[in-house]
Amino acid sequence: MSAIDAAEVTLTYADGTEAVRGIDLDIPEGEFFGFLGPNGAGKTTAIKTFTTLLQPTSGSVTVNGFDVASEPRAVRESIGYMAQETSVDEELTATENIRFACEAYGVPKTERADRIDELLDLVDLAAAADKEAEGFSGGMKKRLDAAMALVHRPPLVFLDEPTTGLDPKARNRLWEYFRRINGEGTTIFLTTQYLEEADQLCERIGVILDGEIVATGSPAELKRRVGGEILDIGLDGNEPARERAATVAADSDLFEDEATVETTDEGISVTSRRAREAGTDLLVALRDEDLSVIGFNIRAPTLDDVFLAITGESVDEDGEADDGDRTNEHNEAGAAEASPAAADGGNR
Amino acid sequence: MSPPTDDAERSATDGGTAETATGTEAETEAATVRRSSNTFLGDAWVNFKRWTTKSVRNPFVLVVSLAQPIIFLILFTQVFGQVATGAISGPGGASISYETYLVPAIVIQVALAAAITSGIGLVNDIEEGMFEKVLVTPMSRTAVFAGKTAAEVVRIIAQMSIILVLGVLLGADIATGLPGAVGIIVVGLLFSLWFVSLSNAIAVITKDQESTIITMNLLQFPLLFLSSAFLPLESLPNWIQTFARYNPITYGVDAARALMLDADVMTVLDVNAFTGLWNAVIPGAAVLVVLDIALGSIAVYLLTQASSSSAQ
Repeated sequence: MSAIDAAEVTLTYADGTEAVRGIDLDIPEGEFFGFLGPNGAGKTTAIKTFTTLLQPTSGSVTVNGFDVASEPRAVRESIGYMAQETSVDEELTATENIRFACEAYGVPKTERADRIDELLDLVDLAAAADKEAEGFSGGMKKRLDAAMALVHRPPLVFLDEPTTGLDPKARNRLWEYFRRINGEGTTIFLTTQYLEEADQLCERIGVILDGEIVATGSPAELKRRVGGEILDIGLDGNEPARERAATVAADSDLFEDEATVETTDEGISVTSRRAREAGTDLLVALRDEDLSVIGFNIRAPTLDDVFLAITGESVDEDGEADDGDRTNEHNEAGAAEASPAAADGGNR
Repeated sequence: MSPPTDDAERSATDGGTAETATGTEAETEAATVRRSSNTFLGDAWVNFKRWTTKSVRNPFVLVVSLAQPIIFLILFTQVFGQVATGAISGPGGASISYETYLVPAIVIQVALAAAITSGIGLVNDIEEGMFEKVLVTPMSRTAVFAGKTAAEVVRIIAQMSIILVLGVLLGADIATGLPGAVGIIVVGLLFSLWFVSLSNAIAVITKDQESTIITMNLLQFPLLFLSSAFLPLESLPNWIQTFARYNPITYGVDAARALMLDADVMTVLDVNAFTGLWNAVIPGAAVLVVLDIALGSIAVYLLTQASSSSAQ
């Protein structure tokens, strides 16, 4: 039995917005699955459909073997759900919040006290157990929220952008809990805007854009599709200098013909699996051409890079998927044709 | 869904969990997943406890929603007491004080003010995400709202009792004694339920705290003044008399006032089927019950809509 089995699920809101347009998913039990996509891609809508909060417009969803449309109550009993917005009752203490969740999910009276203590320990809130949640930090509220989703030891837990807005320390702590419960056999369905988060936690990732899954695979597979790491080089000089640098990078065999070269506002950007090994040599080659390098940086691919690689579309500042933001910048820079024209060594 | 089906589903879920378990640790964990079944009364009780804890913890709301009626009670009796006594000496017989005349109206005002906070509580829950959180639990949705409403009813009873005691201390006289006081509270409750429904309906529609508060407050004063609450209808302009005939407050106040004065003070309906004060209490209560059912149904419908698909 799959934890989640979705077939051709669509969801259209009353105002005509097609938030989800035909999603197929099969998530085996015990998997840590990540739904990766920008704001407005349909992640939350999809998760609400799986958790019975929204009725799919068409298609079918089975969760833990129960149909979301005909057996919503059985689905609700067998899942935990942590919404995107932190939801705790701020007028209640941490203990009272968890107790309410225990009662709501029918955790037997005899086990409640132990379960509450256990969860308070799990999320490191034992010290604040009897304080009202109103005074909690964002991270503490999130952790309390997570605890409330776990009271009935659900075999499947939905986490909708659980770490958005948290500082790195709080985020790492939450990641620990998620890994631990996954290690204990719980299936986890997580949505995120951050490739790094999906990379850290998930065994498999589905990339969602405009209500459709555009790619599925392990984090390593997805990153491979980007084609490696990214070397950003800042150049001192005008358009022609950048164009020339791009040509130098593209024509060199430093990257063994497996590189994508683009011009950027600052200089050039090279995506290659050999970015680290060949980076220094490229800098030297640029200097030999009398191009002055004013900065460089090697980084891992971001969500934006993954989208660009998979869909040819970039993600703008608001996180909305948009047609080639980066290309537009190039247009302004008068080098629109530079990127596709640059070397793309038959890797695809 | 009948309980046996629920149980079958539950054991199926547990079975599924056991299958997933790979390690020994996970297996023992899965084995401990024994959930007591949710019952309607149990679910209602859980929610009753939650809302009662919240209102006890936040006595500010309780006090503030009492403050305005108390101010009204004191100001009106002090400022208009002398003048008004002349106007009211008609219906209740010989000499009744304005305090006695006004207290039932203030009780109704308390019910009105308290009902407003019900919708505010719901909006808060929607804004805090607790509403959605509750919807994902296996609790019965009707029980969720029944529990919340029960908590509010208890609070409203407490507030109305406070006003009655305060009124008596200020010199008001409940002609029918303690049974009459209980009757006044029952009338107040019947009155509050339609306004509770209305405030929840507006909360679901607006999903916004300010809008709910403004709308409900906007309704509160015209409804109070354009009724028999503060002065007998005969002493008011014709258009107010006409409006008051269709104003639920008139029916609540008249029924409560009849119990206070032990007399048929209802002028908008001429019922003579019963004796004495019952000619006012029974028709008044009947009107309120009809309103409760009508607005209650609308609120339940809107809440079910909002909870079955929270598509914004």
